[in-house]
Amino acid sequence: MPAMIELRAFMGLADTFRERNWDNPKTVAVTGEMTGEEFLAMLDLSPDAVEVFFVNGKAFTPDLAVVTGGDRVALAPQGVPGPYRVLLGFKKMG
Amino acid sequence: MSKFIRVDMASKAVKIEECPEQYAGLAGRALTSIFVANEVKPTCHPLGKYNKLVFAPGFLTGTSAANSGRLSCGAKSPLTGGIKESNSGGTFAQKMSKMDIKAIVFEGIPEEDKFYVVKVTMDGVTIEEAPAAIIGMGNYEAIKVLQAQYGPKVGVGIVGPAGEMRLTAANISFADPQSNIRSAGRGGLGAVMGSKKIKAVVIDDTGAGAVAIANPEEFKAASKRFTNALTTHPVTGQGLPKYGTNILVNILNEAGGLPTKNFRSGRNEWANNIGGETMAATIEARKGKTTHGCHAGCIIRCSQQYNDKDEKYLTSGFEYETIWALGANACVDDLDAIAYADREFDDVGVDSIEVSVTVGVAMEAGIIPWGDAKAMLELIQEIRKGTPLGRIVGSGAGALGQMYGLTRVPVVKNQAIPAYDPRAVKGVGLTYATTPMGADHTAGYAVATNILKVGGFVDPLGKAGQVELSRNLQIATAAVDSTGMCLFIAFAILDIADGFNALVEMINARYNLALTGDDVVALGKTILKAERGFNQQAGFTNAHDRLPEFFEEKCAPHDVTWDFTDAEIDEVFNF
Ligand code: SF4
Repeated sequence: MPAMIELRAFMGLADTFRERNWDNPKTVAVTGEMTGEEFLAMLDLSPDAVEVFFVNGKAFTPDLAVVTGGDRVALAPQGVPGPYRVLLGFKKMG
Repeated sequence: MSKFIRVDMASKAVKIEECPEQYAGLAGRALTSIFVANEVKPTCHPLGKYNKLVFAPGFLTGTSAANSGRLSCGAKSPLTGGIKESNSGGTFAQKMSKMDIKAIVFEGIPEEDKFYVVKVTMDGVTIEEAPAAIIGMGNYEAIKVLQAQYGPKVGVGIVGPAGEMRLTAANISFADPQSNIRSAGRGGLGAVMGSKKIKAVVIDDTGAGAVAIANPEEFKAASKRFTNALTTHPVTGQGLPKYGTNILVNILNEAGGLPTKNFRSGRNEWANNIGGETMAATIEARKGKTTHGCHAGCIIRCSQQYNDKDEKYLTSGFEYETIWALGANACVDDLDAIAYADREFDDVGVDSIEVSVTVGVAMEAGIIPWGDAKAMLELIQEIRKGTPLGRIVGSGAGALGQMYGLTRVPVVKNQAIPAYDPRAVKGVGLTYATTPMGADHTAGYAVATNILKVGGFVDPLGKAGQVELSRNLQIATAAVDSTGMCLFIAFAILDIADGFNALVEMINARYNLALTGDDVVALGKTILKAERGFNQQAGFTNAHDRLPEFFEEKCAPHDVTWDFTDAEIDEVFNF
């Protein structure tokens, strides 16, 4: 049974969503668990374009993120100012 | 030898001397803070005759180094009662450096009830009665009047009506290259300037040469590498120029750290309406400018020109912190209304963070309804009128909270807490608690991974590693604040080690020194110790390094609390 993910995109990725005529936030159907990289591949988004993969308000790199139905997900590219990348844990994300 | 200027507003005597030995190796925040620690009586009344206001450009200000045009202003703060350094862009600092002026100190208080303009030229310093027309006038118009009188290119530092009234949220505004406004915002230094009856300081560098560089070739090579770091990094090369600091609204909202409704929650549903992406689209649609530099030589250009619906200039330097405080914390879901408020803050001359947070506290008090844009603007306009309520609003969040018997007042050392919830971004919470400046996010901002070994993973919601992180960020920031560099260069040097090395090499080439990264760290520590020492002598103890107790409440969406023990907090300054 597919379940829904609420997906947001920030900065340049918001432009990508607009260019593709996608809503922001966009509802995405998923079945079971997916890694961040699988999720991005499904959406035809390059993992290189994503620095931060938020799952329910916590930051991960795309390769370490795991998403499942009901999650709130957001994507941010490179470009978030430096101190916050440290303070919010984006540098060397777990 | 650089000049050190002392202006005594009581006797109107001006002393222009060689820079004293003890200040010769200092600049920017290092100079202002060590000067205040040496020369200002810590227990003095900040608006009394013993306080001194000092302006100092940074080590690299006035050179061709990118982003090096900042001016540090220092004094005892009437808002916090402790030491204060507040820095600003604009044209003032570069002119000081070109004129080889290390610092200008304003001392004493005139007996007579008159405002003055202090004029600084290559021929000396004069003190003239301020034109009657600019008394009580907003800063935008007053800068025009002064530049018509003294020359279109003169640098101007000015206090608005709030500074004339000596309100503790008053700032000092500086004209930028387009004669718009940048400010030394925090800590009420405009009230100190107003107490000395200085309406404006005008600086004319006609006849000044270029800043002397001891080793020009080395300087040029280091400067090129430094510029390269800034232009190639995605934050300083792309993110900030396009979206400004307001890019942080959506990010902090997602991370659950965007304080909403006077710090009741870390997330709201309308963040995107006030976020950087929406702002950039609005600016483009109204033919404004998404990117603009607050001083010549800024290549990051995080500022912007935000136009109104009729495509007329409304404001610039429209920062995340102001937009957060009104848009999320006071629930005003209306970017245009926030822009009008921002313009009024600049024009009346108050710290946009302090007064925006005060608006949220006014809503808490029931003075105006949550989210009411019209009532918000009317409340802010009370400051200019000098009504009793306006004076309270212009005195900051702590004052208003006290008047209305509130406990939910987000301040540390009586200075308003900015835009990052300390429960969800714990490292910044430690900085709010412990910085000698009172709650200030920019006190822990500069990251020099290679030097300070900052940058390993810290969970923003957990305590591990946060004490060390806050300490190292504060040390690095104190050093960067002394260079004259905009703090946003830190975004690039976090990742590009050569950018930091190039910065140190530029200082070495300018003064023929051989500083190392360790020396820069040592300077940061010296500054912080001087500042903390001043505060201790002014009566501050560890008990002042605490967040308000309402942060023990859970903060959605992560349901985290402020859970550092006193002993853990006190470790930040254990170095
Ligand atoms: S990056 Fe922004 S704050 Fe820094 S100097 Fe440039 S315009 Fe001013």
